[in-house]
Amino acid sequence: MKTLIVIPAFNEADNLAQLLPQLCAAVTADILVVDDFSSDDTVQVVKNQGLTCLRLPIQLGAWGATQTGIRYAKRHGYDFVLTMDADGQHLPEEINHLLDAAFRNQFDVIIGTCPQRVSRLKKMAWRLFKIISRIRIEDLTSGFRIYNQQAIQVLADKAASLLDYQDVGVLLLLLRSDLKIHEIPVKMSLRQDGKSRVFSSWLVVFKYMLQTTTLCIANIGAKKSQ
Amino acid sequence: MTTLTIFIIGALLSISILYLVRKGKLHGPYATWWLMVAVFAIVLSSFPKIIDWVAVQVGITYPPTLLLVVSISFILIRMLTMDLALSRKEQKIRRLTQRIAMLEAGLEQAESDGVDSNKQN
Repeated sequence: MKTLIVIPAFNEADNLAQLLPQLCAAVTADILVVDDFSSDDTVQVVKNQGLTCLRLPIQLGAWGATQTGIRYAKRHGYDFVLTMDADGQHLPEEINHLLDAAFRNQFDVIIGTCPQRVSRLKKMAWRLFKIISRIRIEDLTSGFRIYNQQAIQVLADKAASLLDYQDVGVLLLLLRSDLKIHEIPVKMSLRQDGKSRVFSSWLVVFKYMLQTTTLCIANIGAKKSQ
Repeated sequence: MTTLTIFIIGALLSISILYLVRKGKLHGPYATWWLMVAVFAIVLSSFPKIIDWVAVQVGITYPPTLLLVVSISFILIRMLTMDLALSRKEQKIRRLTQRIAMLEAGLEQAESDGVDSNKQN
């Protein structure tokens, strides 16, 4: 089973310098870092570790970078893609745990979940999205996931290229394609710098809420409920 | 007097459009749209009675309302199609960016393999 670990990274040189050696020690899978037009030496850190690094010439955001990795996996015939964050939130020792579940082939997507990590405010937002979209998944935003070949086909497609975040939009697309999603609880460490990169200001949060709500409403009735 | 103004606007618009197309600054379908707008302006300013006639047919008592409603609707439709076109462009740019990144990595890989095999020879 060929597995590719995809790590989207934007200015994560310090975190990657810590994470990559641990990761190489913990798993045998191939590792790919997608550099989302960083201004620090993310690329150099990855190269020093002897790993492949894709460099985006234009910033595409977290999902755009992740999708690059998924397209790379499709091109190179990988059976599974595991996505994880570069900031050390997702622990290398949990990977094998998730991979075991994926290898059993009962599900197309495995999500490593840790709902305890999020604030109450964010949980309220999740509840809203779940009510509108009728997704029955606990953790909507976890980027710690494994996709099998069917899921890779769906996510590498053009239709997924206009999404902006690896959360509700991606989940809706997967469910619409009739793929089975399974959640496994995992341990996650709190972010070292304590702040989310996606939600750097209230304006960004507001924009995200508005966009995701629109996406949920637009997808009412478009999928078979799981 | 207004009709004359609109006539002049229409005429200037069509001349500008043709000029821009000739200079290669305006792309096919957009040019057609704008030329249609110019032609409408010229026709309606030459025969303003058309609006009155249509307004009576559809039961509007104050004809200028018809003109305003129709023009605003067309502007809105045009804006929507512009955003559609922009989304398509965004999608293409993202796909291209991703492909460049993949090709570049493949190229570097091939180059370093080439260097390695040269060393062995």
